[in-house]
Amino acid sequence: MDHVRSLTQAYSQAPWRKQTMFIGLFLLVVIFAALVAGIYLDVTARTATIGREIQGMEEEIESLKLSNAELETRLALLMSTEELEERARSMGFQSIEMNEAVYVVVPGYVSRQHVRLAPPPGPVKTVAAALPTAFTESLVTWFQRKVLPMRSQILEVRR
Amino acid sequence: MMSEHVWRYTLLGTIFSILAFAIVGQMVRIQLNPEQVEYFMEVREANLGTYRTIYPARGLIYDRNGHILASNTKVYEIGVELAWVENPHTIALALNVVLGLDYKDVLKAVSQDPSPNAVYVVLDKFVTQEKVDQLESYRAEIESTYTNRRGDDRPSLSGLVFVPHLMRSYPEKDRASNILGFVTMEGEGNYGVEAKFNHLLAGNPRNVWIPRDPNLAEEIPDIPDGASLILTIDRSVQSAMEAVIDDAVDDSGSDSGTIIVLAPQTGEILAMATTTRLNLNEYWRYSEIFKGNTPFNRGVSETYEPGSVFKILTMAAALDKGAVTPETEFLDTGVFEIGGTYIYNWNRAAWGPQDMQGCLQHSLNVCLAWVSSELGAKDFYAYLRAFGIGHLTGVDMAGEMPGRLKLPGDADWYDADLGTNAFGQGVAVTPLQLAVASAAIANDGKLMAPHIVRAVVNNNQQFDTPPRLIGMPISSKTANTLTEMLASSLEKEASDSLVEGYRVAGKTGTAEIPTPYGYSSSATNASFVGWGPVDDPKFLVYIWLEKPTTSPWGSVVAAPVFRQAVERLVVLMDIPPDNVRRKIFTQ
Repeated sequence: MDHVRSLTQAYSQAPWRKQTMFIGLFLLVVIFAALVAGIYLDVTARTATIGREIQGMEEEIESLKLSNAELETRLALLMSTEELEERARSMGFQSIEMNEAVYVVVPGYVSRQHVRLAPPPGPVKTVAAALPTAFTESLVTWFQRKVLPMRSQILEVRR
Repeated sequence: MMSEHVWRYTLLGTIFSILAFAIVGQMVRIQLNPEQVEYFMEVREANLGTYRTIYPARGLIYDRNGHILASNTKVYEIGVELAWVENPHTIALALNVVLGLDYKDVLKAVSQDPSPNAVYVVLDKFVTQEKVDQLESYRAEIESTYTNRRGDDRPSLSGLVFVPHLMRSYPEKDRASNILGFVTMEGEGNYGVEAKFNHLLAGNPRNVWIPRDPNLAEEIPDIPDGASLILTIDRSVQSAMEAVIDDAVDDSGSDSGTIIVLAPQTGEILAMATTTRLNLNEYWRYSEIFKGNTPFNRGVSETYEPGSVFKILTMAAALDKGAVTPETEFLDTGVFEIGGTYIYNWNRAAWGPQDMQGCLQHSLNVCLAWVSSELGAKDFYAYLRAFGIGHLTGVDMAGEMPGRLKLPGDADWYDADLGTNAFGQGVAVTPLQLAVASAAIANDGKLMAPHIVRAVVNNNQQFDTPPRLIGMPISSKTANTLTEMLASSLEKEASDSLVEGYRVAGKTGTAEIPTPYGYSSSATNASFVGWGPVDDPKFLVYIWLEKPTTSPWGSVVAAPVFRQAVERLVVLMDIPPDNVRRKIFTQ
């Protein structure tokens, strides 16, 4: 019996075993740290990528706004009085004199109306919150809203 | 063997320990040195991101039918990132060739060493897309040609950056330039509606933090564009009126010309054309075109003595007060004394017995001076004030002048002024003031506020500007009586202002011009105010020709211009001849 005890003691107190335990523990810490660092890096990298994408999109929005303004101006140039008159003349049109105008009655004709580029101001409307409740309510509120009514329904069914 | 290893391990350990201590020591040194802390904080701040002022796109300006009169176009700021510059000479040469910039100036600016205080240098602003395309193609060409070459002398446009931004653009060039005004490179509105509504058009710039760190990136707040304006002017009418006044100035040899078209029933300005005009896309030529004190818009900014067109206001006041009736007889002896001053007719002749219509028809100064004296100074000036003479009309354009109406009690008012003011001398008005006052006669005595902005479009909502009644200086009956008198006068005179098929009312004006040495008889202001159709006025036209040389008389140079203007207006505004209109109405 004493022999077995001394063997176990010898095994447990062997220097190589202590070293193995120490190295294992150290490796465990290293692996854990590496895991945390890896997760952190992954999340940071993804955030950075998305952040960069946001920056890129902001730049694109800016660029598109400028392009829209430029196109609008080009269109206005093409539709300017000078351009239109020149095109009309080249197509054989000419401006009429007062005594050349012929007036006819067109039933239902509506004369030129006020130009409307946007709707008139309407009554002020309260806009509902855009975020779903999942982002705004607490767990307790959710529990009260979802689970408690179910409990009362179950009790109702049992009766 | 063993001691050899120990020695090596000790050496390595010592080196690493020294390094570690050095790093810690440096950290402590930086932390304890305020200058170092400040320096590194500055570097950190500089690299963390930047505050950028975001300027909203300037609101557009439209005519009453939605045609764009002022918009924005894309231009570029050209600069260099000093840290990226490889060959300053190439950049200086390219910008000299393409943009005409001074080679030495560019070279000096680009050759700076980059530092926290010198990162980016602006070389040129408001460069067109065409020029930038040219520079881009140069860059591509240089890159492809010298790809394999190494060394400091390798040609390169590296570091050159093009930053796009917006600049005001006017697709109609000089059309309605006097109304619109312009925007400088600094983004400031000058003259016209650009100046008057600068705060609305420009929007609200906002300072926004733009982080360089993508982890901190967030959505840039949506900054709404400036408000857009819809004007009351019709670009076709404006274009036609500009052509009419340009021709009139050429034909009459006048120094300048102004024409205003109003809608009497609403006070809307349908057109306002003056000479000279400026191509707003080249606004920097302003001082070259508007020499001396030449106003940008004579319609609202220049005052002058209007002459006989003013008689309609004198007659309106006298009729309304009951001082005279259309049938009141006056014996014109050719001279009238008032306040020690003798008033004579335009031809210095005596016209004999006249009724009030005759006085207007022959534009008799003597008669009108008598009319104002019959009315009395108190009532006469009260009516003129009610017509808006002597104060601002409040039109929504920058640079309006109030004119000058001397009143009894003023140090420079004399009894004789009552007589001379009656026929438009000794009183200074702007063309718009007189047009607005006359429009009240055309509009049943109702004085409408003149305005150029029909609606404001802001945050996707259109806010219309309704017509605004600002007074009723005379009764509807007086207005109609006077309109009838003026229409008959033109018909009896067989005036050059008459338009076939349309009954119009109006009055000519010829005013002597005051000089430091008295009134000049050789130079005059010729004018005409008229409206029609008489039974349902859709337009009022005011014409002023400054110092015409072919003839000094308004009836000769200005009246035909009214006819030409109306002949274009009735077509552009779809106004049928009176008989057709009545026929349509009875159907």
